[in-house]
Amino acid sequence: MSEQMAIVTTGLTKSYGAVPALRGVDLVVNKGEIFGFLGPNGAGKTTTIRCLLDLIRPQTGAIRVLGLDPQVDPVAVRARTGYLPGELNLETNLTAEQALRYFNDLRGNRIDWRFINDLAQRLQLDLSIPIKNLSKGNKQKVGIIQALMPRPELLLLDEPTAGLDPLMQQEVYRLLKEARAAGATVFFSSHIISEVEAIADRIAIIRQGVIVEEAEPHQLISMVLRRVRIRFREPVNARPLAELPGVSLLAENELHITVQVEGELDGLIKALAVYPVSDLETERPSLEEIFLAYYEGEKVREDGQNVG
Amino acid sequence: MWAEFKHALRRLRGRIIGWSLGVGLYSLMMLFMYDAVLEIMGIEELLAAYPPEVMAFIGVTDIFAIMTPPGYLDAYFFGYMTVIIGIFIVGAGASMLVGDEERGVLDLVLAHPISRASLFASRALALVVATMLILLVCWLCWALPSSQTQLRLTWLEFLLPFFTLLAQLLLFGALALLLSFLLPSARLASMISGALLVGNYLLLGLYRLNDNLEPFIRLTPLYYYQGGQATGGLNWGWLGGVMAVTLLLTTGAWLLFQQRDIRVGGEGGWHIPRLAQAIGLGERPPHTAREETG
Repeated sequence: MSEQMAIVTTGLTKSYGAVPALRGVDLVVNKGEIFGFLGPNGAGKTTTIRCLLDLIRPQTGAIRVLGLDPQVDPVAVRARTGYLPGELNLETNLTAEQALRYFNDLRGNRIDWRFINDLAQRLQLDLSIPIKNLSKGNKQKVGIIQALMPRPELLLLDEPTAGLDPLMQQEVYRLLKEARAAGATVFFSSHIISEVEAIADRIAIIRQGVIVEEAEPHQLISMVLRRVRIRFREPVNARPLAELPGVSLLAENELHITVQVEGELDGLIKALAVYPVSDLETERPSLEEIFLAYYEGEKVREDGQNVG
Repeated sequence: MWAEFKHALRRLRGRIIGWSLGVGLYSLMMLFMYDAVLEIMGIEELLAAYPPEVMAFIGVTDIFAIMTPPGYLDAYFFGYMTVIIGIFIVGAGASMLVGDEERGVLDLVLAHPISRASLFASRALALVVATMLILLVCWLCWALPSSQTQLRLTWLEFLLPFFTLLAQLLLFGALALLLSFLLPSARLASMISGALLVGNYLLLGLYRLNDNLEPFIRLTPLYYYQGGQATGGLNWGWLGGVMAVTLLLTTGAWLLFQQRDIRVGGEGGWHIPRLAQAIGLGERPPHTAREETG
């Protein structure tokens, strides 16, 4: 394995009884990048992450994390990794500080407590409150702090911003970017496209236990469809807009039109310059729509190849 | 390992204090009742009037042995402390790891640099120490004020039965631990281990009334429990045998834990639906499939 790779999985399969969770996951994450792992619920994101830490064992396939095999040397892998589970559960009778001190003890009591206080301050978390009295969002902050506090080489974060308000989400993005700037690799799962777009250098999409795409976020966005609603100040002939490359008309009346745009909006925006536009709304695609767009594209390509 | 041991012991401290206080106060009460029992006018006739079935179930075969220190200790403490303190150890053993797993807490703990072997050993050791602390308080409650009573035994003579009690408790704790890895939930493991303990206790009582049960009772742990009779000396063969079985059960549990997929919160009961599905009795609930593959 190259020194430049933080995570490499090859042909990873995992089933829970008769339910296949992973069906041959091949993944490469380079050191020093923020890697977004996208997929709908049940796609296999959590299962993949838990295999990386040897919490569960795949039936077949190989895993290397920071050059180590987690099944052979799990303690060494975990010593260099910070992990935030997707379903975060903490001992409820402890305060946030006691929970963090316990995790610090498990890491040999080597963590700089000033850094923990700094993280708590940035995330606006009162460490003296018992876990049982914390809201879901505040519990998530405890989880984020425990993952970041050892300043690990690799961060494995399963939906890190779940339950956080938008301001805190932005703070978490900043923390992750700072971690990357300090040399860490960040591998995080999400089903929120805007989150991935905001921070990821590269992404992989997993669906039904298989990686269906690896790309940079802008490549992903360019392959998706989005709806644009345009309202005009006066009746216009909007037909020419529908004839632009990648644009198709969905609905129209005298004062507004709705079009579907594939890829970037640049062409449409420039064409609109000559129209009396009073309002313009774009609807970002959901992940499911991206999948649909992606699969429709795949299907068209396959059909084309078959015909050809 | 030390960090996890400290943490596990801290988590048990409430139960240690509660059980120590409860059983310790009971020990004191029984100790100071000894003189009163001896001084009851016509106690021998009273004891003789007890149905043998009752005496058998409190661990007394010779009705007049209850007047002796070992017999008294058996009848009023050691005879049923396996069941009483057994409630603690069976519950704690079953939930030692699987309880945390069902609450989804174990996932994050094991994501830290601690091996499964180390986690298992730390928690098992904390459980042993917790049980020893409870028994230590009991022993002190019997031994320290005993000079104020006619129950004249040395501190060591008071101590020896506690070794046999500890060995039995650890065996049932190890059984609960092993079953927690084999059964769908910690609660079920706890229930079945507790039922086996109580069943063994009842079978022992029946055996005292019916010798024909000897082939069966010899296969059970409590047959090898000396209780108060250990004040006269330990049966090392029995004690060693019980400890060996405990070690075997613990090793089995350790091996299962090493190979185990750590479940996350909400997957606590997925074995039964799967089993039911496998034999065609039910459909897999959709939420379990989603949680497992997420």
